[in-house]
Amino acid sequence: MHMLSSFGRRLRRLPINAFTAIRQNPKSVALGGLYTINFACACHLFLEYVATVQIVYGPSMLPTMSEAGELVVENRMRYRIDPRNLKRGDLVTLESPIEPGRFICKRVLGLPGDTICVDPTGLKAPSTEHVFIPKGHCWLVGDNAALARDSRDYGPVPMSLIRVIPFPQLQDFSDLSVVFELVRLLSHETHMHYLVR
Amino acid sequence: MRNAYTSWTKLSSTHPVLKWSQTILFWLPTGIIFTKHGFTVRVVTGNSMQPTLNPDPSQPRDIVLFDRFSIESLRQYERGDIVALKSPHEHGKLLIKRIVALPGDTVRTLPPYPDKEVTLPNGYAWLEGDSSFESEDSNHFGPVPLALIDSRLVWIVWPWGRHGPLGTGKIGRRYSRSVEAAELERAARLRERV
Repeated sequence: MHMLSSFGRRLRRLPINAFTAIRQNPKSVALGGLYTINFACACHLFLEYVATVQIVYGPSMLPTMSEAGELVVENRMRYRIDPRNLKRGDLVTLESPIEPGRFICKRVLGLPGDTICVDPTGLKAPSTEHVFIPKGHCWLVGDNAALARDSRDYGPVPMSLIRVIPFPQLQDFSDLSVVFELVRLLSHETHMHYLVR
Repeated sequence: MRNAYTSWTKLSSTHPVLKWSQTILFWLPTGIIFTKHGFTVRVVTGNSMQPTLNPDPSQPRDIVLFDRFSIESLRQYERGDIVALKSPHEHGKLLIKRIVALPGDTVRTLPPYPDKEVTLPNGYAWLEGDSSFESEDSNHFGPVPLALIDSRLVWIVWPWGRHGPLGTGKIGRRYSRSVEAAELERAARLRERV
C-alpha cells in the first residue's frame, strides 16, 4: 500500500509536458538536447563517410536497377580513400552536373585519357563522332541507353562530382539476384563494345 | 570491461588534460558537421584572385571565412560572388573564382577560349579569376557544373588591414577611393560581358 502511494506521488511529480520539464530542470533538458544533436551528428558522419543505404529509382539504369526503386548499399570509403579505385564498368552515384543537389546513378565507361565513341547507335550524335576524355573527367552512361540522360548529352563529367561506389555484390536483395547478375554482366559486355582505344 | 571503465573514469578525473580531451572528442561530431555544412575558416593561397585576395605578393596567405550553408542548403548562386569550387581536373583541390555568368546567360569569352561567345546550358556557370593573366578559369576549361561549387567566400578574417566582407557590391571600407573605383569599374566590365 505504502509502495503504491509513493509510486503515485512520484507519478504526480513527473513532468506532464515539455514546458513543465523545462521549467523544472532547464539545465538538464538543454544538455539532453545537445547530447541528442551530437548523437545525430555522429550518425550523419557515419552515413556520410563509411556506408549508407539509399533507394535508386528511375528508368535510366534498367535492367541493373528497377524503375520502381532499389535499395543500394553505398561504400563511401572506397572512392574517398583513393580515386584510382574507380574502374571501367563500376557503378557510381554522383551529383548531377546539370541539376545541382540531385543525385544520379550511372556506370563508368571511360576514364581520363580514353577516346570514346559518343553514340554508336547514332541517335544522339553521329556514330563517327569521338571524344577524348580530359584529365580528371570520366564518361558515364546509363544501362538503359534509350532512356538515360548521360554523358552522351552533357559530355565528360568531372570526377570530383562522384560521391560513392555502391557495393556491387549487395545491389539487389531479391531472389532473382543471380539472374540480375547475369543480365548486368551481359549489359556490361555490350557497353564495353563502345570503348574504342 | 567494467573494471577498465571505472579505472579510466578515476584516471581522467584526476588528470584535467585527459578530462578535457575526452570532452573535446565527445563533442567532435557536432564540430565537424558545423564546419562541413555551415561555416569554416581557411587559408587562401595563390594569386589568381588579385587584387581582391592576396593583393600583396609578399604576404600570399589571406584567411577567409567560407560559407557552405548558403551554397549547399539554400543554393544561392549570384553573379559577382566569390566561390570555392572543386577543381574539375584535380581531385581534392579547391580553386577560388568569381561567378561571372549563370545558366541561360551568354558570355563574351577571353582569348584562350576557342569560341567568341558561349551560352551557358542548364546547371552550368562561368567562373573567372580577378587577374585574368594569372588565373586558370573558365576561359581555359569552359563552363563548370554548379554542383562543383563548394562554398562562398564571405569575409576576410586576416590580415586585419583588409578585414571585411567579400562579394557583390561589398567593397567595404578597407580600400582607398581610387581602388574602390577600379573595383567598381571591373565589376561593371564583367557585367557588360554577360
